[in-house]
Amino acid sequence: MAKGIRTVSTVVTSCDTPAPGVRRLILADPDGWDLPPFRPGAHIDLHLAKGLVRTYSLCNEPGDNARYVVAVKLETESRGGSRFVHERLTVGTPIGVSLPRGDIKVSQVGRNVFLAGGIGVTPFLSVIRDMEAAGRTNYELHWTSRGAPPLAEAIRPAIEAGRIRLYDTRREPRPDIATILREDGSNLHAFCCGPNAMLDAFDAATASWPEARKHVERFTAPKIAANSNFAPYELVLAASKTSITVTPELGLLGALEALDADVPVSCAGGICGACRTRWIEGSPVHRDRVLTPAERASEVIVCVAECASSRLVLDL
Amino acid sequence: MDTATLEAATAAPTWTGVVRYLHRTPRAFLPMKSFPELTLIAGKGVEGDRYMIGQEAGFYSHKPEEGRQVTLFEIETLQALARDQKITLLPEDHRRNVTVEGVPLNHLVGQRFWLGEALLESTRLSVPCRHIEEITGKAIFDPLINRSGLNCRILKGGVVRIGDTVRPD
Repeated sequence: MAKGIRTVSTVVTSCDTPAPGVRRLILADPDGWDLPPFRPGAHIDLHLAKGLVRTYSLCNEPGDNARYVVAVKLETESRGGSRFVHERLTVGTPIGVSLPRGDIKVSQVGRNVFLAGGIGVTPFLSVIRDMEAAGRTNYELHWTSRGAPPLAEAIRPAIEAGRIRLYDTRREPRPDIATILREDGSNLHAFCCGPNAMLDAFDAATASWPEARKHVERFTAPKIAANSNFAPYELVLAASKTSITVTPELGLLGALEALDADVPVSCAGGICGACRTRWIEGSPVHRDRVLTPAERASEVIVCVAECASSRLVLDL
Repeated sequence: MDTATLEAATAAPTWTGVVRYLHRTPRAFLPMKSFPELTLIAGKGVEGDRYMIGQEAGFYSHKPEEGRQVTLFEIETLQALARDQKITLLPEDHRRNVTVEGVPLNHLVGQRFWLGEALLESTRLSVPCRHIEEITGKAIFDPLINRSGLNCRILKGGVVRIGDTVRPD
């Protein structure tokens, strides 16, 4: 399977240290072309090195499609991502990134409360900038940090307007989340991003709330939606003598990519027929709109197929 | 009147169309940008576009295709999506280079026609792909089946401008 382009090509155009231990990167297209647009609260994956993919919130204002701004705190227990960002990335470094994903959907009319701990503010920066740009002030941010908060200049006007409450834990206790989130009949929507202790307090304070009114950002890649409800099965490529377990999350196409199988996938939707492949053993579940019943007896369109048996052998 | 006589005595009305939008992008995933004119280079593609032969920076560039030098799309399909499926798809969303009006693209496979001063030869119908759903975030794969545009090679290059006439060779 020939490898296609799977990421947006960007280059580091600026990097600085806006706060101790925090590295801010500006990524842009090498020729200054607009980047794919993003929504308030969105994040992207940075493909830092082979097997090293990390997810970070976009900090700039939605609508500013000329660049992606991310801010990364160096974690003392770094698994490699933040250390790579801090030590290896410099102006001019090319980085592949994913399309922006996700968003934070604030209430248009209700009261929105954002709770952030330190660098956990990043998903709220683009939200607040977007709301401020639209003249919407139905929000408040409670932002806890040890010392001066990082990246505060990004939302300075909102701070000066009194919509952001800063808590310096060197001088005052952490805020009581349950008190902040006390219902006042205003159809409150709450959003939290910060260290685990803060998230736990948030969960406890909102335990009885409807899911639609509480939102947590955990800075972990979202669980990939399962492509099917089929049980995992073993995929065997007879000619190349390789095999892999196909989970619902991986899917047949993902498994073939993982095995570097030589299959010319094109539409990925079961209509073009480019990836028709002979099968030898198993019970393929056909979901294409290409093959006749007779053809299905020996061939399968792998981009949309499943397998109902515990083993599928393809002539690859 | 037998069929041959009937065909000889009558002629189906021909068509002429017009170029409504022109787009290109230099790399995979990036937004398509509108231009008042595009330069088509014979045997290669659209200058500055990700699929120009020699540039190979598109999502499908790992699958070289000599007949994918320029791609066209009917504005009538965008209108039909809005009318029948209530889907708003803009000319920059479908990711083909040229949006035309009044041109029966699905009838032109294997035929030559003029796009302004450029002469094209259609190689095949374009096929929708899941990639466009990933980029647009809109469920448009099924509605675009059999009306996803046309792939062409460029026999005679030239500058194509919005408002140019499209006509059979």
